[in-house]
Amino acid sequence: MRDAAPIVYVVDDDGSFLAAISRLLRANGFSVRTYSSAHEFLAQREADTPGCVLADLRMPEMNGLDLQTALVQSPNPLPILFLTGHGDIPSSVRAMRDGAEDFLEKRAPKEILLDAVKRALSRDSRERSARERQRELRSRFDTLTERELEVLSHVVRGQLNKQIAGDLGLHERTVKLHRTAITTKLKVQSVAELTRLTQEAGMFPELVQTLPKG
Amino acid sequence: MSLVTIIWSMIASACLTLAAISFLTWGRNREAWANLFFSLLAGGTAAFAFCELGMMRARTPAEFGTVLKWGHVPTWLILVSLVGFARFYLKAGRTWLAWLVCGLRTLALVLNFLVGQNLNYREITGLRHISFLGESVQIAEGVPNPWMLVGQMSLLALVVFLMDASVTVWRRGDRHRALAVGGGAMFFMFFSTVQSVFVFWGIIRIPITASLSFMCLVLVMGYELSSDTLRASELARRLQKSEAGLHEIEERMRLAVEAADFGVLIRDFTRNEMWASDRWRALLGFSETERLDLQKIFERIHPEDREAVHLMVERARSGYGVYDADLRVVLPSGEVRWVATRGRVEFDGAGKPAFARSVAHDISRQKKAEDETQNLQRELAHAGRVSMMGQLASSLAHEINQPLGAILRNAEAAELFMQDKSPDLDEVRAILADIRKDDQRAGNVIDRMRGMLKRRSLDKRPVDVGELVREVAALVRSDAAARHITLELTVAEHLPAVLGDPVHLQQVLLNLIVNGMDALNGATRGDRRVWVTAALDGPKIVEIAVRDSGPGIPADQLTHIFDPFFTTKPEGMGMGLPISRSIIEAHNGRLWAENRTGEGASFRFTLPIAEQEFAK
Repeated sequence: MRDAAPIVYVVDDDGSFLAAISRLLRANGFSVRTYSSAHEFLAQREADTPGCVLADLRMPEMNGLDLQTALVQSPNPLPILFLTGHGDIPSSVRAMRDGAEDFLEKRAPKEILLDAVKRALSRDSRERSARERQRELRSRFDTLTERELEVLSHVVRGQLNKQIAGDLGLHERTVKLHRTAITTKLKVQSVAELTRLTQEAGMFPELVQTLPKG
Repeated sequence: MSLVTIIWSMIASACLTLAAISFLTWGRNREAWANLFFSLLAGGTAAFAFCELGMMRARTPAEFGTVLKWGHVPTWLILVSLVGFARFYLKAGRTWLAWLVCGLRTLALVLNFLVGQNLNYREITGLRHISFLGESVQIAEGVPNPWMLVGQMSLLALVVFLMDASVTVWRRGDRHRALAVGGGAMFFMFFSTVQSVFVFWGIIRIPITASLSFMCLVLVMGYELSSDTLRASELARRLQKSEAGLHEIEERMRLAVEAADFGVLIRDFTRNEMWASDRWRALLGFSETERLDLQKIFERIHPEDREAVHLMVERARSGYGVYDADLRVVLPSGEVRWVATRGRVEFDGAGKPAFARSVAHDISRQKKAEDETQNLQRELAHAGRVSMMGQLASSLAHEINQPLGAILRNAEAAELFMQDKSPDLDEVRAILADIRKDDQRAGNVIDRMRGMLKRRSLDKRPVDVGELVREVAALVRSDAAARHITLELTVAEHLPAVLGDPVHLQQVLLNLIVNGMDALNGATRGDRRVWVTAALDGPKIVEIAVRDSGPGIPADQLTHIFDPFFTTKPEGMGMGLPISRSIIEAHNGRLWAENRTGEGASFRFTLPIAEQEFAK
């Protein structure tokens, strides 16, 4: 799955532009799929393929921004690149704030367009790896019991076994056993490594502020 | 002086006076033959009165005879002039009878001088003194002349002639004249005939007093004649009065015509003449003395108007009867003047044109004001279009950039393909075709915009309603998409073309659609719709409606939305609807607004269909 060729999904209600840009992208070696509406794209795209979306901002019924919202909430949040005939500030601000890769006019220079596509693809690949890694980490954390998670949350706050035992009403020995189980399950050697991994997996988001940077 | 002398002298002088008056009347009016004959009749009577007096005063039979002989001359005159008077005054009497009377009398006159001492006596043997009116007068005694019968026959013939004439006049219905003139003449003629018969045949012995009857006759005739003269003078007075009235009316007309600054032209077809008032001449730049003809007048008319004016005048002349036109006149100085003219042609009994009367006045100022108003309206409409294009600018830029973007990307792709060692020429050809197509698409958008932005006057021609609606839809499509609004177009099939200026009509439709879309600003995403429908409303009218699914127009605003500068939009100028309404009214249509039951506003306008369509 990770080795599948990335695909540039182009969504535009203007058939003529759709044909033109897909020719250009193909000529530059990209795999392209075209859709004449956001609905069509959302219905037909494959669940988990790498790539990016190139969408017209202004489309009847579901426009580019709507597509972006739908995409962000999907399990395969491909990076989205907006194209517009004539850009308007409010739309572009909203698009960029919501994490659009770029916001280009349809007549933007080819290099900028192609760079943006490449950037989007590499971002997808990066995010995809990150998501993969996170999923893997999450699966490791998933093996922890409730009590072990509780002990972990104290450990990453930098508390000593004695304090943890006091807070949780356990024997210090029991706490030690839990810590050993945690390090074994998460395959870490040190507390520092444990802390970094916890952060990377996005555990205990409420603690993120207080955690020492790994 | 004796009574007889006084009476007979008075008869003579009265008759002479009447004769003189009547003769003078004839002198002034040579066609009044009745007056001439009356004058001769009265003159004859006066002369005869003298003869009678001479006879009554004769001292010897020879003197009596001579006076009597010469007395036949006035008698002849009396009879002949009486016949003449009856013929001319009564306009009656048989011609042969008239000739018979005159012939017999003339014969009698001739016999009077040839046979015997005179017509009445072969020989007067003596005179007898008799008492008459208290004094002694002479009457003759002698042998009656049998030729006297000729004279008396003429008198009888005259009575018959007069009777016949009176009957004719009576039958004609003029009973007064028949009785007074015919009857009177007949009575007195009959009386004097009887007297002469009795006297000259020696049956009774009295002097001849025919002049008395003749005078009565003269008086009756004179009375009739003078009452006619009175009537004539009364008529003349009335005529004068009515002429004065006519003059007054003429004056008033002239005043009105001058006050209205009208020029008047009258054309007399039968005499082929033209008369024009000074004002009219000044209007068309003719001098006050210049002779006018149709050709000269037509030369003054602006070449562009000449043909139409010619057709209109011809139509009026060939039976239509009236014409009415605003036309341009080019003065010799080169100045162009607008003149309104209205005319009427009068026809004679045979249906041929007799007169044409027309008025003309200068309407250059009105025309200038109209032009200025039209210019202002045009400018305003243009400003409205520019402002609307401004509102749509972003959408239109998008509409243009879309095909331009496609062209650019296609060109870039083609360049890459061409770098191949064996380029796919089919693909390149397809690209070129697409580029051409997109260029056309961008060009269309620009043309549409340019059409809307152009300053132009109303140029009406048949406009296809479907095309009109689609053109406008193409302008707003992108804007509608950006605002999540669905535009639904429903144009009835086989709609006839309407008469209008396509750009102005697009402007109205565009304005209404943009308004409809603006009305949806607060509406939820699910049901943002604007409907445009076009259908026939009666055989000659097309109705186009723009409805929206918005909240409708608040009742208190419904009456104000067409007021200038009334707006509910923060950036609105409040001129869109007033401009639209004035455009539709300039197309002889109507534009109004109503709330749809339940929801949304509906703007409707009507347009007349193009005439040739209707004629089909």
